[in-house]
Amino acid sequence: MKLIISFLCISMSIFGATKSFAQDHKITTDSIKVAGNCGECKERIEDAAYIKGVKEAHWDKNSHWLVLSYRNDKTSLDKIKSSILAAGHDLDSVKASDKAYEKLPKCCLYRSHVCNE
Amino acid sequence: MNLKIKLVLAILLCTVLTSKAQDSNRLIKGYIFDHVERNNPLDGANIYSQGLLLNTQSNEKGYFQLAVPDSIPYLVISFLGYQNDTLYLKSPKELYRVYMKASKELKSVTITHRKKATEISTLGILKTERIGQKELLKAACCNLSESFETTPSVDVSFTDAISGYKQIQMLGLSGPNTLFTRENIPDVRGLAAITGLTFTPGTWIDNMQLSKGTGSVVNGPEGLAGQINIEWRKPFEEADKWNFNLYQNSQGRTEGNVVHKFKVNKNVSSNLFLHGRNQWMRLDQNKDAYMDQPLGNQFIAANRWFAFLPHKFELQWGVKASYADNVGGMHDFKKGQAIEMGKTWGYESDINRIEAWAKIGKIFENKSWKSMGLQLSTWAHQQNAMYGFRNYKGKDNGLYANYIYQSIIDNTNHIIKTGASFNLDHISENVESVGYTRKEINTGVFAEYSYQYLEKFNLVAGIRADYNNLFGFYATPRLHLRYAPWYNAALRASVGRAQRTANFLSENMAYLASNRAWIWNQNNMDYSLKPEVAWNYGLNFTQKFKLNYKEGTFSFDLYNTQYQNQIVVDIENPDQVKFYNLNGQSFAKSFQAQLDYEPIRKLDVRLAYRWYDVQTQYQSGLKEKPLVARNRAFINIGYEFAKSWNIDYTLHWTGSKRVPLSYHQKDHLLASYQSPDYIIMNAQISKHWTKAFEVYLGVENIANIMQHQMILNSDNPFGKGFDASLIWGSAMGRNIYAGLRYNIK
Repeated sequence: MKLIISFLCISMSIFGATKSFAQDHKITTDSIKVAGNCGECKERIEDAAYIKGVKEAHWDKNSHWLVLSYRNDKTSLDKIKSSILAAGHDLDSVKASDKAYEKLPKCCLYRSHVCNE
Repeated sequence: MNLKIKLVLAILLCTVLTSKAQDSNRLIKGYIFDHVERNNPLDGANIYSQGLLLNTQSNEKGYFQLAVPDSIPYLVISFLGYQNDTLYLKSPKELYRVYMKASKELKSVTITHRKKATEISTLGILKTERIGQKELLKAACCNLSESFETTPSVDVSFTDAISGYKQIQMLGLSGPNTLFTRENIPDVRGLAAITGLTFTPGTWIDNMQLSKGTGSVVNGPEGLAGQINIEWRKPFEEADKWNFNLYQNSQGRTEGNVVHKFKVNKNVSSNLFLHGRNQWMRLDQNKDAYMDQPLGNQFIAANRWFAFLPHKFELQWGVKASYADNVGGMHDFKKGQAIEMGKTWGYESDINRIEAWAKIGKIFENKSWKSMGLQLSTWAHQQNAMYGFRNYKGKDNGLYANYIYQSIIDNTNHIIKTGASFNLDHISENVESVGYTRKEINTGVFAEYSYQYLEKFNLVAGIRADYNNLFGFYATPRLHLRYAPWYNAALRASVGRAQRTANFLSENMAYLASNRAWIWNQNNMDYSLKPEVAWNYGLNFTQKFKLNYKEGTFSFDLYNTQYQNQIVVDIENPDQVKFYNLNGQSFAKSFQAQLDYEPIRKLDVRLAYRWYDVQTQYQSGLKEKPLVARNRAFINIGYEFAKSWNIDYTLHWTGSKRVPLSYHQKDHLLASYQSPDYIIMNAQISKHWTKAFEVYLGVENIANIMQHQMILNSDNPFGKGFDASLIWGSAMGRNIYAGLRYNIK
């Protein structure tokens, strides 16, 4: 039973420690529209959005909204946007280069295809 | 330590986790209704922002309000029994109205976050670990007894050093105390309780749900330690038409699996499952002149059908046939070779099993809350084994039927299930022609009431009354409670009784791999022992949390099993294995704590610790159950990198176990001692190309740690003290394996 108590205490202190690191006021939450059409796109878009300083990125297939949380002292929305464009996905305001777009697998060519997932 | 302190600790822990700062907000207000009955407000729906710790619940008028940062474009709404809905906030409205659609049966809600390999839910009356395909792929190989390598709730150990069989343990109780069900029909029981675990290949499985403690009375009076329900791959789910799997390891095991799905029309679909396995290398990694595992073949085939008929009738039926033969023992022993006193000691075993089942279900039209179902299954199982001069013979034929009627009282917050079940076990088994034949008919009726208050509180109270032709009437009450003290947390408690007639010869067949005399109160060919009866009490707590924008789950559980009667397996005397009814106390207490967290994106870490205290009153006194580890710790790390590469690493630390009095070399008695603790490490790397093709490569037992001296007096298998059943460590050494999976749409 002593073991059990110490286990709980240790896990609590680990929690406590990580929590204080996480108390950070430089987090910005933003959302942008990103074009895409399927689950594979979701993975690619989120992978592209997770550059250094990005804490969280969720892309919704139906609404095309990408919700972002990032540290504004380490990165900026422009940096995230350019990473997504480089992965071949259009934004509301800017289109990805044709070169990047053509690299996408066939099922993800969202400009002409509709995904039937 | 008392429970209160633990609870306070847990509460403290969780309050630390749930504070949250917010930036510039707008207030979102709205109502949530049912899609069909559009005036029916939904009370207790969850409204949250994906990825943020921002949530509220609707009240009894369906109303909610929530301050949402301007940067959030949508909210997600979830409610038990309904499909998740999304509320877009783009065009600002004074008041939003959401009409939620009820979720269809057999289809699950789309999960939008990265799927975890194992999920522990905070909803639902039982703390259920859902073990998905992703988790199953982490395990090196290949069948049910090998599928729990990354699941801390289940201990897996070798039964003996000869047969290669593994047995599972939950809550410190041996495998047959866990109720296995295949899509809710009991499976892996009777004489197949140990060997049957090898008859479900991992590649056939879609997912498993594991819960500890006594479960629902609907599934019968058994299942003391918990329930593991196995869902096979479904033919009607949009997925691949063909799944192929090939496996080869450095220990000489070759395995192949095929799963085929086809649709006859929109409503009728079928699966074909095939499995073949061959162990062809005579392996002796510890150089004791005995094979570490037997040579052998195994073939399993199954076919099952689904039909969705008009008037909401659902039909399902299937057949499965399993065959296994093995030969082991001394290194060059061959199948059919005569046993020669003082020269050759061999092991042979063959198993034939065939089973068939059907399920008929009906949901009443326009009354989606009212349904009924009938489950039927039948099986014939034959099992023979030879350990040196000693033989085992077993036969098990049976029939199972279970009728369930479900309805509501007044509204869907009060659900009632009632029905009747019938189970026939015609079992005969013997060791060296001494044994028993048992025709056991267990007929019972049951009723179960479930109450739900929002997502806050649930209660399930069930009782069954059974009549057993051998042991008379008995009642099985069970109670489950769940309370959500705050968001994403669940505190659950359970208490229940379980009764089971143990097939003590087949369940302990491992002791035939010794020269122990088998002793029990033999009474012609009758079953002379009493059924096992026990009460199980459980308490567990689960908290999901978000830390540094990453999700995690923390949980702990406490279980206490108190036997009223048990068939005690007594191996305290090294010349005997004795079976007798419990006279005194026998209990199993367990504690487990587990933490799942994703500290870095796509890096999943699981830490677990578990503790057992299992004691039984033997004829020689109250003693700790032998060969059970008091402590066990576990680390699993999975990482997905560079797109489509996965690496997985597991470390188990198993604490020392009590080894009873045993013969050391040359008739020299060795006092009961504590075995050394040991670690087992496994690692696997896999790479997939699109979703269709995947290869994997792994190593089991990287450090090559084996129990030293596995078989006592191995040089004299016919003399006093020969014993291959005292296994506390790993009976297999390092194993390198590779495999591939190929899916065709």
